[in-house]
Amino acid sequence: MALLILALPWFTAPLRADERPWRILMLHAYNYTFPATSLAADGARERLLQRSRRKIEFDAEYLDLVRFSEPGHERLVADFLRERYAQRRPDIVMAISGEALPFVIKHRDAFAPGVPVVFVGAASGSLASVSRPPGVTGHFFDLAFNFREMLALAERLQPQAKRLFVIAGTARLDKIWQDIARTEIERRARKFETTYLFDLEYGALREATSRIPSDAIVLGLSVFRDGAGKTFLPVDVANTLAGLSPAPVYTPYVSQLGKGLLGGFGETFDAMGRAGADVVLDILGGKDASSIPPRANPESSHRVDYRALQRWNLSESNLPPRTVMLNKPPSIWEQHRNAVLAATGAFALQTVALGALLVQRRRRQRAEALLKDSEERLAFAAAAANIGIWRLDVGTGGLWATEHCRAMFGLSRTAASLTLDGLLDAVHPEDRHFLADSFKSATQFGTQVNTEFRIAIPDREIRWLVARGHSAFDDAGRPSRISGIFADITARKTAEAEADHQRKEVAHLMRVSVLGELSGAIAHELNQPLTAILAYAQAARRLLARKNPDLGKIMEVLNDITLEDDRASEVIRRLHKLLRKGESRTEPINLNELVESTLRLLNSEAISRRIKVDTDFQEGLPGTFGDPVQLQQVLLNLLMNAMDAMSGTSAPERLLVVGTRSSGSGAVEVSVSDRGRGIAEEQRSQLFKPFFTTKEHGLGLGLSICSKIVKAHEGKLSVDNNPDRGATAVLALPIKINAAPVS
Amino acid sequence: MTDRRSTVFLVDDDPGVLRALTILLDASGYEVRSFPSAREFLAHHDVSIPGCAVFDVAMPDLDGLELQAALAMDGTERPIIFITGVGDVPTSVRAMKAGAVDFLIKPVGEDQLLDAIAQATERDASARQHQQELMSVSVQFAKLTPRERQVLTHIIAGKLNKQIAYELGTVLNTVKVHRGRVMKKLGVRSVAELVRVAERAGIRAASSNS
Repeated sequence: MALLILALPWFTAPLRADERPWRILMLHAYNYTFPATSLAADGARERLLQRSRRKIEFDAEYLDLVRFSEPGHERLVADFLRERYAQRRPDIVMAISGEALPFVIKHRDAFAPGVPVVFVGAASGSLASVSRPPGVTGHFFDLAFNFREMLALAERLQPQAKRLFVIAGTARLDKIWQDIARTEIERRARKFETTYLFDLEYGALREATSRIPSDAIVLGLSVFRDGAGKTFLPVDVANTLAGLSPAPVYTPYVSQLGKGLLGGFGETFDAMGRAGADVVLDILGGKDASSIPPRANPESSHRVDYRALQRWNLSESNLPPRTVMLNKPPSIWEQHRNAVLAATGAFALQTVALGALLVQRRRRQRAEALLKDSEERLAFAAAAANIGIWRLDVGTGGLWATEHCRAMFGLSRTAASLTLDGLLDAVHPEDRHFLADSFKSATQFGTQVNTEFRIAIPDREIRWLVARGHSAFDDAGRPSRISGIFADITARKTAEAEADHQRKEVAHLMRVSVLGELSGAIAHELNQPLTAILAYAQAARRLLARKNPDLGKIMEVLNDITLEDDRASEVIRRLHKLLRKGESRTEPINLNELVESTLRLLNSEAISRRIKVDTDFQEGLPGTFGDPVQLQQVLLNLLMNAMDAMSGTSAPERLLVVGTRSSGSGAVEVSVSDRGRGIAEEQRSQLFKPFFTTKEHGLGLGLSICSKIVKAHEGKLSVDNNPDRGATAVLALPIKINAAPVS
Repeated sequence: MTDRRSTVFLVDDDPGVLRALTILLDASGYEVRSFPSAREFLAHHDVSIPGCAVFDVAMPDLDGLELQAALAMDGTERPIIFITGVGDVPTSVRAMKAGAVDFLIKPVGEDQLLDAIAQATERDASARQHQQELMSVSVQFAKLTPRERQVLTHIIAGKLNKQIAYELGTVLNTVKVHRGRVMKKLGVRSVAELVRVAERAGIRAASSNS
């Protein structure tokens, strides 16, 4: 009602259709993605539309002065504005954010000569540095004053704090903040041990912020640009840092509150817009712009995020008077004021209402008791199953967890406020970022948490846990809460590691046995370079014994000896690789090279078995990732099987065709075709089972191990009969590198 | 030996071994013709060049022993030395039975190899000489008339002119003339020499009562 009455005078002055509408040109310092200027412009527009007696047409341009800092940019924009507004003169130019003011002053004559300029949200510091020509006025805020009030708020809320951390970037406005901070902190009566986190590269800044001691005061000023010259939205930086900081973070931009920042002093951006709009209205009402001094906004106040206050366990009673509290849940009185007022008006109704409330309260108490009971039972059952239950509030960062859950992380049941960082401290350093990332993604995008990690607590054995959780969303579709469990999976992990070890042992034994079969061929492979070396050496001796030794020729022979020696060591290296028992490694794999190298190992064997080997390699084959030794073992097995299959084939027909290609379905394939006896129908299903063999001396482990290796590489292994004769084995691996890897 | 440098034909599928042996044999005074495969060798082999061959046993496509068989089938007599990485007894026996000069195991010592090559070259040279002689004898025999040839078979059977005349139904003087012409055409001075030459040319004596 009061609102209505207040608004009435404006309604009594009706819009007059015959008059030309006012034209207001809003020049934003940044672009439309920048929240602060958008909020300020919206605030101004709303106020103007509400209170102007004449129709208003708005034009808006984005100067984008920070992202485009090259010299030609300003002139380009000025030229553009001149062309565009030559026939469309604005009545007033509004400079949204003080950052736009120097531009407007410099170029006003080009696009709006003589037109009054009203600036919104100019910092007092930046205002002092420009000379204000006639017709320019507006709204400013006093940065130093806001800073002092912000620090005063911090001092009241954290009376014990000894250390002070101040964060600012490297852009023009960031530097102004730096100066203010230094001056004000110097002048301050209460002395702090102060660390200035100025001019840091963003990564380093985050790192430094995450290491701030938890009893410190953190002042997050503005970071438009970091030490590496990268530009940022200050609101993003402030909120990210608030999330990382182990201590509460204060801000001079109270519009940024709500996502983890604790509080500060100032006005909201829309309030700045409204203050600027009031100046505009005065000018439109006939006042001379030059006669209006720039003014500060009376709407400035202390503002604090209630949820952050709770999170940091700070006392509400320490707040300065008239502090605006954001996100505070309304009290019963505030919520039910009308109901209570109505009840006092009607006694009978009140009695009934009281009765009803009593019943409701008892019901609620009973329901709460039941709920508590069932929660306790659930927690007990979960603890018995070695499962910890937790819930994370995305807004405040507050973490609730069962006692057992705390115990899993080595935290005492009395630890006051539980945070995610508190839990992360107990996580094995190698796994910590996995878990942190998983939670981060869940809080930002609502993804599932599903991560296995180790807990490393001094003097306790390392345990494996799995974190599982899913998000609940608020009305805007943003994750608001994540709930889930931690379960101890150490026993499973131990069994897995044991099985993995066994598998590796068997795989290694199989490699040794395959190489055993090949020993003759490999000896021959080594014998060739030895033969050559011996012959070269003897030739050299003969050449030297001549009357006029040809030294050039002898040099050539000696070079040949070293080449042959390289060849011999290559054979040994290849063997050594296959015989090694080491940990499995993942490397970029060029399949062509791997097949080539495996074929070289089998060269002598193929010759002695009178088998012709044809290759058909696709050039520039995309790459994959894998363990080269394991994959070579698979290839070796496939090739040996194919050669074995041709023992009954007449010599001239023994042909092994090895091909590589990239299939249409995102895989690279190696195919090994033989002209042997093929696979009998009844054997097909048995092929990959352990201990199934068609060979007299076979163990029946080759293909079963191969299929395990291939599965671990997310690949596929298949064997099919050819249409004419023999069989073709195909090993398919997912493409993970689009170009051919160079080794 | 007409040329001091006799030729060695070398076949090995391993380029390193092929090159090394080529250089060694070249340094040891041989003319070397090297081939990376049996097929290459067969395509360029010149039978008329004196010398021997060194074959690797294990080669793709045609192996050393198959190459030996292919040469034998052509009637080419080229003394062959085998070298092999894996010396299994059955293979070496097969090679030797088919007439190989030697069967050597890699890595091959130079003395062993050069000895074998010397032996093989020797064998080739004497075979060629034998061939040469055979050739010249048969050229001379070709000059004889059928009647003279008939007379020759009787002479080497040890018959007297009288008996020959009787058996051929001619007179003694005619036989004497034939006999003289045969001796002259074949360039021999005694019956004993005539018998040896005829034997070498594979001419058989006439049977006594035909």
